[in-house]
Amino acid sequence: MDTAAGLSLPRLEELEAPPLSLAQLFWRRFRRHNMALVGVVVLALLSLYAVFGSFLQTEAYANLTETGLRLQSPSAAHPFGTDTVGRDILARTIYGGQISLLIGLSAMLVELVIGVSVGALAGYYGKALDSLLMRITEAWLNIPALFLLLIMAKTFGGRIPDIQLLGRSFSGSVVVIILIIGLTSWMYLARIVRAEFLSLKEQDFVLAARATGTRNLAIILQHILPNSVAPIVVAATLSVGNAILTESYISFLGLGVQPPTATWGNMLQGAHGYIEQAPWLWIFPGTLILLTVLSINFIGDGLRDALDPRSRAV
Amino acid sequence: MGRYILRRVLQAIPLLFIISVVIFALMMSAGDPLATMGGRRATRPSDRERLTRQLGLDKPLHVQYLYWLIGNDWDKLDLDGDGIPETAGRRLGVLRGDFGTSLVNRGRPALEVIWERLPNTLLLMVPAEIVIILGALLVGIYSALRQYSWLDHAMTTLSFIGYSMPIFFIALISMYIFAVLFKRWGLPYLPTIGMFDPTVGRSTLEVMRHMVLPVFSIATISLAGYSRYIRSTMLEVLSQDYIRTAKAKGLPRREVVLIHALKNASLPIVTVVGLDLPFLLAGALVTESIFAWPGMGRLFIDHLERTDLSVVMGILLLISLAVVTFQLLTDIAYAWLDPRIRFD
Amino acid sequence: MSPKHWRWISALAVGGLLLAACAGPAQPIEIPTEEPGAQPAQPTAPPAEPKVAVFIFTQEFDTLNPYYTNMFFSQITHQIWDVWAWQFDDSNEVYPVMLTEMPTVENGGITDGGKVLSLTLRDDLTWSDGEPLTANDFVFTYEMIVDPNNAVASAYPYADEVASVEAPDDRTVVITFNAPFIPWASALWKGLLPEHVLRPVYEAEGTLDNAEWNHAPTVGAGPYVFAEWESGSFTRFVANENYWLGRPKLDEIFIRFVPDDASQINALVAGDGDLGTFFAYSDVPTLREAGVNVLTAQSGYNEGWFFYLGEGSHAALQDVRVRQAIAMGFDRASLVEDLLLGMTKPATTYWDNTPYADPALEPWAYDPLVAATLLDDAGWIDSNGDGTRDKDGVELVLTYGTTTREIRQDTQAVAQQQLAEIGVGLELINYDSDLFFASYGEGGPAATGELDIMQYSDTTNFPDPDIYYWLCAEIPSADYPDGGNWQSLCDDQLDGLFQQEIAQPDPAERQQTFYDISRMMYEQVYWLGLWQDPDLWGVNERLTNVKVSGTTPFFNIAEWDLQS
Repeated sequence: MDTAAGLSLPRLEELEAPPLSLAQLFWRRFRRHNMALVGVVVLALLSLYAVFGSFLQTEAYANLTETGLRLQSPSAAHPFGTDTVGRDILARTIYGGQISLLIGLSAMLVELVIGVSVGALAGYYGKALDSLLMRITEAWLNIPALFLLLIMAKTFGGRIPDIQLLGRSFSGSVVVIILIIGLTSWMYLARIVRAEFLSLKEQDFVLAARATGTRNLAIILQHILPNSVAPIVVAATLSVGNAILTESYISFLGLGVQPPTATWGNMLQGAHGYIEQAPWLWIFPGTLILLTVLSINFIGDGLRDALDPRSRAV
Repeated sequence: MGRYILRRVLQAIPLLFIISVVIFALMMSAGDPLATMGGRRATRPSDRERLTRQLGLDKPLHVQYLYWLIGNDWDKLDLDGDGIPETAGRRLGVLRGDFGTSLVNRGRPALEVIWERLPNTLLLMVPAEIVIILGALLVGIYSALRQYSWLDHAMTTLSFIGYSMPIFFIALISMYIFAVLFKRWGLPYLPTIGMFDPTVGRSTLEVMRHMVLPVFSIATISLAGYSRYIRSTMLEVLSQDYIRTAKAKGLPRREVVLIHALKNASLPIVTVVGLDLPFLLAGALVTESIFAWPGMGRLFIDHLERTDLSVVMGILLLISLAVVTFQLLTDIAYAWLDPRIRFD
Repeated sequence: MSPKHWRWISALAVGGLLLAACAGPAQPIEIPTEEPGAQPAQPTAPPAEPKVAVFIFTQEFDTLNPYYTNMFFSQITHQIWDVWAWQFDDSNEVYPVMLTEMPTVENGGITDGGKVLSLTLRDDLTWSDGEPLTANDFVFTYEMIVDPNNAVASAYPYADEVASVEAPDDRTVVITFNAPFIPWASALWKGLLPEHVLRPVYEAEGTLDNAEWNHAPTVGAGPYVFAEWESGSFTRFVANENYWLGRPKLDEIFIRFVPDDASQINALVAGDGDLGTFFAYSDVPTLREAGVNVLTAQSGYNEGWFFYLGEGSHAALQDVRVRQAIAMGFDRASLVEDLLLGMTKPATTYWDNTPYADPALEPWAYDPLVAATLLDDAGWIDSNGDGTRDKDGVELVLTYGTTTREIRQDTQAVAQQQLAEIGVGLELINYDSDLFFASYGEGGPAATGELDIMQYSDTTNFPDPDIYYWLCAEIPSADYPDGGNWQSLCDDQLDGLFQQEIAQPDPAERQQTFYDISRMMYEQVYWLGLWQDPDLWGVNERLTNVKVSGTTPFFNIAEWDLQS
């Protein structure tokens, strides 16, 4: 608009920035989080290491024992050294990484299914169902997780025989571990989902949907759930790291995945007995676990900030 | 308040009951306690049959649970295998304080076995908790006051690293540095096995020396996590209006931080610290295995491996009881600290 | 003071406390690497330095009462504090300890065709508290074992084979059996219970299950006396001044519990321990390099494959040619060389290293060509080209299960590789010990026939060759869930031979029967020997006069001495 002085002020529409889509908003905010980006890069590298490393070494090599070569320090032939029965540690960290990451992701899926179902049902239907489900959740929460996990690992472990999948053989204990980690970690997710549902179910759009006769299941799945995605995504991401840590704990104690199937956790089993002679036994798998979980935690932190609806940062 | 406590206590009872049923059912299929009674050889059939009868393992699951809960001195058992139950049982049941006898430490009451090891675990957990609280407060408050300084960033990164590590990794690193490397470099080094060196004896100083590495390992993760939590809580509180008012009134910084800010930030801190017990126990479990500390965690693992029902159930019940109690205490502390909270 | 200073001061204080704990007193830092026993730890130091031998145990015993446990680490302590009526030397030959002589037919000890055993006790036997040890203690021990109120670990043979135990006088014990019992020397009197201590307990509580004596046996009959047991850490035995064969040479035996094998080896190599056992063969070179002597004691154990031959077993295993082919397709000699570092030999029969194995037998030779031919003859050929043989639509894939021990898992890997070369597939499974050895009634995989091949190490009622595993009557079933014949093997001829040997008092005849048994099992490959499994003992050089037996390991512990 032209003023009397002849200056040209920009039009109002030109002053406002064009509206950003949700995805663009999310990405902008995520991008500002340096550590989260580092986390993404590191995690990508580790995944590549685990997946493509299998083209460099076969699994048979990873499980090949040569007692004559036991406890050798890192050398050209074995860049990470050998373990107590002569297996190459580098190859085992590659295949161990595959299993550990697989367990982390699968356990997260199990948790997701159980936790979201319980939380959604409790939050949406309320009253008696809510009370019952919350009692169960509370009971489950009151048993310290590791103890319950160990008992369940003892009870169910060893009952499932080796699984042959895609030409490779996995110890049946992998499935057991995935299930029991999922079964003991869903409570946190359930609580989060329940809180979301409790607050969202009184919103207008839900009342409107009910008024138009939408069935309950549709309301839950199509209306409320998509709006509570943010905390679920953050919690699910962090739970992957948690699952990897948990698996390493039980494998370290000997009740998790059984050798010869390698995981980063069971490679550390018994390493404290060789602390002086062979530090390479635990440095490499331990560092890999640390890097993986650390990057997942950074990513989760970044996601939390990026997806937080109350944040006004752009 | 009193009614609230009563309600919580009453709610805790069915909770513990459900927990005991679940664990009992799991333990029943966890393995055969008689399988390893033959020592290096398979248990003889005649002994297996006799022991199954004498130890009450032939009874159906719900009867075994009942005996565990309320004892069997009101019932008659057939101990000599003639089919006629004529001997009265000797167990009083958990509700009367008898947790049964251990199948691994033959004949010793489960409670005695657990009680013997419990102080050793407390010896690790209590100092660890103190270190966690003090350390997290120090780091968290400092970071909050010096937000965005390079030290704050460094501490944040260290905290992230701290709680992304599995406990045994921390334990192994600290073992490697403080025991192996220090010894190699000729510095005074810390011991890594057991609670004390048997040739030296169980002196306080000896036990304290052995305690350093395990306590450090347990404390690190929680310390890292809580320092961040305290930092974010303090930041939230410090940005509140009443802090600005206090500063405007000219109160000294220390008073502002310690009295006004900290007191208001203490609510979530107390909540979180009070609920830390399960994590401390899990940490103790792994740490005791690495450092060969004769505590309750190692007891649990050893007896779980040999399917010793009474000791495993005893440990789990005591732990669940402790967790529930701590939750209640935390809630009470919460209400006491925050006058805005009222329980109906 | 500004808050900043306050922060740093408190941080320093906490750090200082931690460092103070680290520093400790000046002297004890050296102690962990010093040899234990060189410094007297007791406040009242005796004039000479006490001779303390330190044993390293990787498992803590569950109880010390000899009848409440069969745990190896508990049983080996018997010779320390509660000797047996007779023991076995390093060649597993029996010799009397509490008796004046071993009862035989000639000296009237064995009468009535083997149904009555009369033992004459020495007249100088005493318990460690000075009370005389008499025949009444024997009778009391028997009564306690067979009492239904006592949940003893094993009542064999007292419950079923022994009819009565009597003490006509203080120095004579008369044992009457229901039928002539040949293996009595391997089965009876493995420790005595002191009547004067335990009868009052029994009368007060109605049972011995919870007796204090079980975990604090302050009264015993051995060269050493129990002193203390710190749960999870150590146990101490001190010299028994009242030992009737004279005070032992050592002053104290200190048993230290360590959590695993690696700590045991570290302790032995560093000289912190004088004796250890149950380590892997791969540790032997490490020990030898450190100057630790490694002794082997034949205890009759042999590691082998037990084939499941009962109902529902794999059709291939029912054919003896297939079993023989498996025996010839698996190179066990190389296995022993590679995994066991050549320190033992392949096993031929269940009775290797005893006088009861037919000496003419040699282990099945590795001959994959002949194995392949046998399999072809038996009709198992690879008709669908997938690498494993099959017949009538059934693939020759066997489930092969064992425990989680490292050496067993390695064996599984090797076996799988080698048998794959002759077209036999193996599915490998591992179980925790108490799952693996669970009974038929508990659904144990070995007992219920879930596994075609079970691998573990076992022996007879060593040193007696008798064993009940292959009796037709011991096949487990719903009516008899505790049955011990897990292979469900019922060979009438073999069964007949076992029934025969148990009733043959003439040693030469009995030996011949066992030759026949071992030959039959060898030819039929009912059991395939992998390796002989003697006990390994690592003994520090400074511990002298050490001999170990496979049956009663510390039989001459009263003579062990410490060289400074």
